[in-house]
Amino acid sequence: MILAVLFANSEGNILVERFNGVPAEERLHWRSFLVKLGADNLKGVKNEELLVASHKSVYIVYTVLGDVSIFVVGKDEYDELALAEVIFAITSAVKDACGKIPTERLFLDKYGKICLCLDEIVWKTLSYTTKASFDGHGGQDFFIVILNIL
Amino acid sequence: MAQPLVKKDDDRDDEAEYSPFLGIEKGAVLQEARVFNDPQLDPRRCSQVITKLLYLLNQGETFTKIEATEVFFAVTKLFQSRDIGLRRMVYLMIKELSPSADEVIIVTSSLMKDMTSKTDMYRANAIRVLCRITDGTLLTQIERYLKQAIVDKNPVVASAALVSGIHLLETTPEIVKRWSNEVQEAVQSRAALVQFHALALLHQIRQNDRLAVSKLVTSLTRGTVRSPLAQCLLIRYTTQVIREAATTQTGDRPFYDFLESCLRHKAEMVIFEAARAITELNGVTNRELTPAITVLQLFLSSSKPVLRFAAVRTLNKVAMTHPMAVTNCNIDMESLISDQNRSIATLAITTLLKTGNESSVDRLMKQITNFMSDIADEFKIVVVEAIRSLCLKFPLKYRSLMNFLSNILREEGGFEYKKAIVDSIVILIRDIPDAKENGLLHLCEFIEDCEFTYLSTQILHFLGTEGPKTSDPSKYIRYIYNRVHLENATVRAAAVSTLAKFGAMVDALKPRVFVLLRRCLYDGDDEVRDRATLYLNTVGSDGEVIETDKVVKDFLFGSLDIPLANIETSLKNYEPAEQPFDINSVPKEVKTQPLAEKKAPGKKPAGLGAPPSGPPSTVDAYEKLLSSIPEFSDFGKLFKSSAPVELTEAETEYAVNVVKHIFDRHVVFQYNCTNTIPEQLLENVTVIVDASEAEEFAEVASKPLRSLPYDSPGQIFGAFEKPEGVPAVGKFSNMLRFIVKEVDPTTGDVEDDGVEDEYQLEDLEVVAADYVMKVGVSNFRNAWESIGPDFERVDEYGLGPRESLAEAVSAVISLLGMQPCEGTEVVANNSRSHTCLLSGVFIGNVKVLVRLQFGIDGPKEVAMKLAVRSEDDNVSDMIHEIVASG
Repeated sequence: MILAVLFANSEGNILVERFNGVPAEERLHWRSFLVKLGADNLKGVKNEELLVASHKSVYIVYTVLGDVSIFVVGKDEYDELALAEVIFAITSAVKDACGKIPTERLFLDKYGKICLCLDEIVWKTLSYTTKASFDGHGGQDFFIVILNIL
Repeated sequence: MAQPLVKKDDDRDDEAEYSPFLGIEKGAVLQEARVFNDPQLDPRRCSQVITKLLYLLNQGETFTKIEATEVFFAVTKLFQSRDIGLRRMVYLMIKELSPSADEVIIVTSSLMKDMTSKTDMYRANAIRVLCRITDGTLLTQIERYLKQAIVDKNPVVASAALVSGIHLLETTPEIVKRWSNEVQEAVQSRAALVQFHALALLHQIRQNDRLAVSKLVTSLTRGTVRSPLAQCLLIRYTTQVIREAATTQTGDRPFYDFLESCLRHKAEMVIFEAARAITELNGVTNRELTPAITVLQLFLSSSKPVLRFAAVRTLNKVAMTHPMAVTNCNIDMESLISDQNRSIATLAITTLLKTGNESSVDRLMKQITNFMSDIADEFKIVVVEAIRSLCLKFPLKYRSLMNFLSNILREEGGFEYKKAIVDSIVILIRDIPDAKENGLLHLCEFIEDCEFTYLSTQILHFLGTEGPKTSDPSKYIRYIYNRVHLENATVRAAAVSTLAKFGAMVDALKPRVFVLLRRCLYDGDDEVRDRATLYLNTVGSDGEVIETDKVVKDFLFGSLDIPLANIETSLKNYEPAEQPFDINSVPKEVKTQPLAEKKAPGKKPAGLGAPPSGPPSTVDAYEKLLSSIPEFSDFGKLFKSSAPVELTEAETEYAVNVVKHIFDRHVVFQYNCTNTIPEQLLENVTVIVDASEAEEFAEVASKPLRSLPYDSPGQIFGAFEKPEGVPAVGKFSNMLRFIVKEVDPTTGDVEDDGVEDEYQLEDLEVVAADYVMKVGVSNFRNAWESIGPDFERVDEYGLGPRESLAEAVSAVISLLGMQPCEGTEVVANNSRSHTCLLSGVFIGNVKVLVRLQFGIDGPKEVAMKLAVRSEDDNVSDMIHEIVASG
C-alpha cells in the first residue's frame, strides 16, 4: 500500500501531507525522516530526477520540483517502480497547475489549483490529453487506483 | 497578520518569503466560509475560501463534527453557481468532508443531476463523489447511469465509473458484479487508461473463478494491450495463471513466450514487470532466466537511480537461488559499489558476495572496506551476513574474511551490528577448524573493550568451551582474568565460570587457575563469590595437577540435555517437600514449535543465541493424568506422548482424537472425545479396539467414560502390553460404542431411556517414530564425534520419484520422528542435494544421531545416504529398519 505522500519546501516545512495506514504516533517520525532524507540527498539534483531509498521493506521515491520536494512512500507491491509512476503523475499535475516549475510562492499561490489537479490528476500525465492544459477531469480516485493496483 | 491571499507580482525578490497562508487560523477561515451563504455568490472569493480550508486539512488540521456539518451545508449552497472552477472545488470539498448518511441526502439530487449532465467533467466528477459518499440503497437507484457511464464514449467518464466500481466492490460487491458485461466491453476500449481500469475491475470481479481468469489472460495475451499499466497487470495475472497451471500440466511452460516478448516492450515498467515475473517462476530454468537477466543487466548502467535500484534489487533476489545466472552481471555490479545511492551500493555488494568466485574475494573485500565506513548499521549488518555466507562457501579464504570481520569489530557500531559480527565469527570458528585460534583471539581482543554485557558473557562462555581445546590454552587466560577486574558483576561471574572450565579441562593450568579463582573469593558480588567457591570445591583437590573427575565435569559444564522450558515448568510444579527435586523427572521431549515461529528458510541458526525454547510442556499434564489412574500406575516412567491424531473428520457429530503414550512395556491410547450434538447425552462410552493387525500387542486394561454431555470433552483410555524395549508397530481399528439419550436443549431434561449405538472411527497406527523422542543437540558435530563410530551404520536408499527434495526430506524426518538440528530441515529452493542432521533418544534412553544426505536427479528420483550413530548397535540397526520398511 501507499503509506504517505508528502510535499515540503526547501527548508523542510510541510506543504501537503497525506498518510495512509500510518499510526498517528509514527507520522512525526516519518515526516522528519523524509525531510532529512531530502536535505541529505536532494541538493544539486535536477528537477524531476527521481531518487530512491529503501528502509527494510518500505520504499521511498522522491524528487525535487523547483522549490518543492516531493516524497512518496510505499510498501509491498508499491515498490520503487510503481512509486516512480505515481510521482511522475504528481509532478506532471503540479507543473500543469502552476504552468511552470514552481517556486514556493507560486506553489502556494496555486494551492487550490494544485489540490484540484492532484484530485483530478492523470489526464496530462497518463497519455490522455484533453484540449486544454488543465481542463480538469478524472480525479484523486484515479490516482488512488494507480496506487491500489500497482 | 493576515496577508492578502493573492498577490500576482511574483518576480520580486523581496517577496520570496511571502506566503498566502501566513498566520492562517481555523476559526477565521470558518468565519470566512459564511460567504458561501451570500445571495450574490462571488465564485472567486468562494474558491479562495475553499483553498484555505483545503490547506488547513492538508496541514493535519481537523474539524469538529459541528464545524464539518456547518461547512458542508454552506458548501451545498454553491451548487447554485454555474462557475465551472468553483463547482470542481465543491466536488473536492464534499469528498474531503465525508458527510454522514443523513447529510448526504442534501446533495444527492444535485449530484444525480450532474451525473446526467451534458458536461463531461460534471458527469465524471459527480460519479466519483456520489460513489464515495453513497450507500447501497442509493446505489441501486443510480446503477443504470453507472453502467452507461462505463461504456461512455468519453474516456474520462468511463474511467470515473470504473474506478468507482473498484472502490464499491469492497462494500457492495453483489451490485458491481452485475456490471461484468459493460466492464468487459470497456476492456476493449481504445483509451489506454480506460482499458487499464477496466482490466483491473474485471479481474477483481472474477478473481475467484480460475477458469474465467485463465480465459481473460489467454484472450488478452493474444491481442494488444495499449496501456503499459494494463500490460503490467496482465503480466501479474499471467503469472498467477502459470502458477496454478504448473501443478496440473507438464512440458513447456504456458505463457512463457508472452512474458519473454514483454521483455522487448517499449515501456520500462513492463520490461521490469516481465523480468521479475520470469525470475520468480517456480523452478525456473537457466534457459528461461537468461533473457530476463540480460535486460536487467542493461538497466544496471541506467542513468536513473530508480531503474538501477529496481534492477539490482531483482538480481539480488535471483542471486539467492541462482547465483551462477547472475555472474555475467558482476562487472556492472562492481561499478555500482561506488554508487552515490547507498541502498543500491549495498544491494550490489551483497549480490556480488553471493555470486563472486574464490579468486575475486580479495579484490571484493578491498572495495567493501572503503565502503563500510559510510553506510548505516542496518546496511552493514546485511553485508556482514553476506560475508559470513561467503566464508562458509570458500573456507580457504577464511583468513582475509576473518580479518575483515575483526577490523570492523573494532570500529564504532551499535549492538545489533556488533552482535551480527560476533555471531559470524563464532559460526566461522565452529565450521572452519583452521579459523579457530585466530577467531578466538579476535574475540578476546574484542572483549577487552566491549561495551555490551550480553556479548561479553556470550563470548566468555564460548571461550570456555572452545579455548581449552586449542594448542595453547594459556594465552586466553589473561583476557579472561582481566574481565574479573574490569567489568560489571554479570561479566565477572561469566569470567569465573570460564576460568574454571580452563582449570577443569586443562590439567596443566589447574594450579594457576586456582590461584586466580581464590582471588575471586573476595569479590564484592555474591554470584561471583558463590561461583568461585563452587568451582574451587568441586573441580579438584587444592589445585593439584590431577585430572578432574568426569562426573564433576559433566555436572559443572556438561550440557543440560533438557529443554529449558521443560525444566522451568517442572520447577514451578515442584512443591517443597522432604523429597528433593529430581532432575531426571523432567521430560526431555522438545515440543514442536508453531509454524509461524520457525526460522526463515535457509537461515542458519544464530551463532551465540540461546537455543529456541518451546512453549510450556504438556508432557507434565499427561504424566499427572496417567499416574492418577490406578490401572496404569505400575507402567513405570512415561517415555513419550504423541501429538493428538484425529480419528474423525472435522465437524462430525462426535469429535475424537487420540494421544499415544509410550511406556517401556506398554502403550496407552488416550481417546479425547467431544459430543457436538446439544440434543444428545452419551453414556457408558467405550472404544472397542481391534488389534488383529497389531500382533505384538495385547489389551490389558480399558477405562470407559460414564457420561459424555454436549460440548464437554471426556477421555477414554485403552492400555496394551508389548514386548519390552522392542519398537513394536501395528494398526488398530476403533469403534466408539455408547448409549445415546435424547436431551431437551431448552430445559436440559434427559429422557430416561437410551439406545445403544456405535460410531466408526478412523484406524490408528503405532509406528516406529513413536519410540523416538525428539531431543535436540546444540552442536551436532561435537555430539556426532563424541558418540564415535563404534556403532555407526551407513547404507544407501533409493526413495523413488518425489515431488521435490524438500518433500523427500520432510517425509524421512516424519518417518523417523527425530529432531532436526541446526536448521537442516529447510531445503534451499531448487537445490539438487541436501544434508539433514537429526537427533533423538530411542526407547530405553539410547542417544541416536542421524546424518541424511539426499540427492535428486533429472526425473526427480531421490537417493539417500543414511548414516546412524548411537550408543547401541541394535538401535542403529533399528533406525535403518525403520527407513527400509517405511
